[in-house]
Amino acid sequence: MMDWWLDSLLVLGLLWLAWQAVSAPRVFRSVVMFIVFGLFMSLCWARLAAPDLALAEAAIGAGLTGALLLSAYRALLARHEQRLPEPRVSRPLAGLIAVLCALAFGVLAWVLLTVPGVETPAGREALARMDDLAVDNPVTGVLLVFRAYDTLMELGVLLLALLGARVVAEPLRASGPGPWQRPGLREPVLVAPLLALLVPLIVLMAGYLLWAGTSAPGGAFQAGAVLAALGVLLRLTGRVRPTMNSSFHERALLVLGLAVFTVAGALGFGFEGYMLSYPAGWSYPIILVVESALMLSIALTLALLFSGSGGLRGGE
Amino acid sequence: MDTALLLVAVFLMLNLLTGLVRVWRGPTPADRMLAAQLFGTTTVAVLLILAEAMNLPALRDVALLFVLLATLVSVAFVRLPRRAEERE
Amino acid sequence: MNVAAVVAWSLIAVGSGFFLAGTVGLLRFPGVFSRLHALTKADNVGLGLLVLGLAILAGSPWTALKLAVIWALALLAGTVSCHLIARYALREQGGRERAEP
Repeated sequence: MMDWWLDSLLVLGLLWLAWQAVSAPRVFRSVVMFIVFGLFMSLCWARLAAPDLALAEAAIGAGLTGALLLSAYRALLARHEQRLPEPRVSRPLAGLIAVLCALAFGVLAWVLLTVPGVETPAGREALARMDDLAVDNPVTGVLLVFRAYDTLMELGVLLLALLGARVVAEPLRASGPGPWQRPGLREPVLVAPLLALLVPLIVLMAGYLLWAGTSAPGGAFQAGAVLAALGVLLRLTGRVRPTMNSSFHERALLVLGLAVFTVAGALGFGFEGYMLSYPAGWSYPIILVVESALMLSIALTLALLFSGSGGLRGGE
Repeated sequence: MDTALLLVAVFLMLNLLTGLVRVWRGPTPADRMLAAQLFGTTTVAVLLILAEAMNLPALRDVALLFVLLATLVSVAFVRLPRRAEERE
Repeated sequence: MNVAAVVAWSLIAVGSGFFLAGTVGLLRFPGVFSRLHALTKADNVGLGLLVLGLAILAGSPWTALKLAVIWALALLAGTVSCHLIARYALREQGGRERAEP
């Protein structure tokens, strides 16, 4: 009974926040509503007993995306100086799109509810075969063993996204410390101690998530997102500044994940006969190496997407 | 015990949703931001309660992640130039 | 119920009461600064009491340690965020002389 109450509150809150995020008359209110929406999503994943997703949503939705939207808002303000122009939406068009979306959603829901159940859904098959694997976390098992191709392609997509962003973006000054650099304004006193405490802790957390990812919720993506959030924090406080071009090391790091994964997959081709199978007995260390490389690539990619630049360098 | 824990979670959620009024009303951006930022604390509380009620220790890791990244949004917020943003 | 459970549940109940106090402060206090004050202090104390109660319920020392670390980090986050937002609001309102509570 009580869980019905909790779940209804979550659902209602989610719906209301989503509506507010899209329809609030001022952009800033929408942004804040969206950030809170990310918090709610993470709670929903937790409630659905999906800690891996809750971890990812916490790092990306509530952290990275929030900071990104706020920086974008700041860039918008810089461009329009004082007031943002009122968004002008044609009412009939908006209504038409809303109706079409509702129809599409209705059709999907009907299909989902009326399609006959399958004897052995893929998820159960995978769960049944978990014992053959060296990893205990079923999510990692699916990501890196059963559906490794998907993960490989996703990495490629991420790299492509970064390349695409590089083509159109310029270093986002709004992603760095602004007002603090004006003469006469010093950085707030607590920022330096905060960083001194947080940087090692976040690195530790990322390492833990990576290591624990094979047997408990965690994994390369969550660890990479946490490291990216650290990069965002360093960028926002001015400890790291953007550079026009990527250095050789940065480019190597960006490609590392894809490269290592492909090599590991090719190894399988040599040993077991098909791509992305791991040589028997070696799968655990190989998965760990692949996940580490993935974590580094994902972290750098996301951090560069935030700063809008080719590279990041230490120093003021 | 589970029901009692879930009751506490429901209570905290109601707190959260009521606090959203401050986000909705403002009036200044700082008001909205402080409400949003400190929702993090309530979310952490709910996560810890769910970890106990649903017997999912991994949710404590999620709570840990939340507190580690909690200041990120505040730091991003105070980058905003002061006079030049909108007031309601 | 044994003593430990009674203690744990009282802590959880009082902690939730503090959360309620924080929300009331958020909605009813007259200005940014008093709201910040209400929210940071009340919510963090509430979280601390809640953590204490949950640690007793959980029963394992490692879990208690993890919960304590989470609370300590929440204090850190709350302190710095409050500091940053308060400074921001202070400048927004034109400095100490002209600021309202």
